[in-house]
Amino acid sequence: MTFVRLAEVARVHGEGATAVHALKGVSLQVEEGELVAVMGPSGSGKSTLLNLAGGLDRPTSGTVHIDGQDLATVRDLAALRRRSVGYVFQDLNLIMSLTAAENVMLPRELDGLRSGRAREEAMSVLAEIDAEDLADRFPEELSGGQRQRVAIARALVGERRLLLADEPTGALDTRTGDEILRTLRARCDAGAAVLLVTHEPRYAAWADRVVFLRDGMISDTTDVPLESAR
Amino acid sequence: MPVRHGLLALLSRGPRHGYQLRAEFEESTGATWPLNIGQVYTTLARLERDGLVEPGESDEQGRVAYTITAAGGEEVARWFGTPVAQTDRPRDELVIKLAMAVAAKSVDVAEVIHRQRTATMRTLQQLTKAKRAAADGVAQRLVLESMIFQAEAEQRWLDHCEAVLKEER
Repeated sequence: MTFVRLAEVARVHGEGATAVHALKGVSLQVEEGELVAVMGPSGSGKSTLLNLAGGLDRPTSGTVHIDGQDLATVRDLAALRRRSVGYVFQDLNLIMSLTAAENVMLPRELDGLRSGRAREEAMSVLAEIDAEDLADRFPEELSGGQRQRVAIARALVGERRLLLADEPTGALDTRTGDEILRTLRARCDAGAAVLLVTHEPRYAAWADRVVFLRDGMISDTTDVPLESAR
Repeated sequence: MPVRHGLLALLSRGPRHGYQLRAEFEESTGATWPLNIGQVYTTLARLERDGLVEPGESDEQGRVAYTITAAGGEEVARWFGTPVAQTDRPRDELVIKLAMAVAAKSVDVAEVIHRQRTATMRTLQQLTKAKRAAADGVAQRLVLESMIFQAEAEQRWLDHCEAVLKEER
């Protein structure tokens, strides 16, 4: 089932002569259990696309549906985001005064869960990514790769069925980067929809489909083999 | 001569016959470079001629196990101890194609780059799938990684070409 649907989405920043057309009519769907990677040079609209797909920004024209709901008609966008969408960004934003487990619990506590229940959920998602032993450590006691995994656990906790990742491998070495992708891939295979922005071909290659953005438009995707079309 | 040295390296672990060598070679390289049995026996014959291996008695099924000689052992050690030269690489068709496309001026180079990048990305996706499936063979996984790094380098080079050509215009 389609979890995210962008139809003819355009996003213009500013007005008149100085207007920047970040996206110019992009249509894209991500199914449940599908991992889609978006590649493109800086300024091609990758991050704008991700923000629109996650309801962090609204399109100038076109429509965005998440889990069957048209975002234009959703009153409480923040609640929808908290319930359905997990974000992994390059700057991790882990809270330094909280342990790994507390960081992962936080979004669930904001949802109104009792802290005992939130901790159970946090521990189960940490276990899922083999990071149980990190639960009681503070971010500064973790390596870059471990911190990134905790950030992913925080994005996964609860019933979030859409995962948005913007350069989640950052400056990690290739082996640790692979572990991050393995985690995202596993979550995807368990039914989540994952949209990944990356400029690294080796990580984009974990996706079912790779979409190339160029000047705010989709210039190509890997879903229709070119060779056989020739 | 990677097959020759590959077989010698396998024999340094103990005597083996031809079919065993072929299976083990393919197992360690993830069947990336399939060997036919004829190739194995020709190579063994040359190794024997050069005094690097010795055939034993044939068993009841007529199979002959080969044993590495002292000279063969030295050759394997020399091989592992010597870096591979970069000079023997074949000419790269893609590089030639792009250079020709740029020189021709009538060709849409951006389109050539764009098509290639999508095709190479598909290759990368297939390699990554194979890597995920090769969970227990470290040697296999590293062979696939080598190909992944090469495909990745090609992607980066294509991005670079596109950026440079955009500036030139």
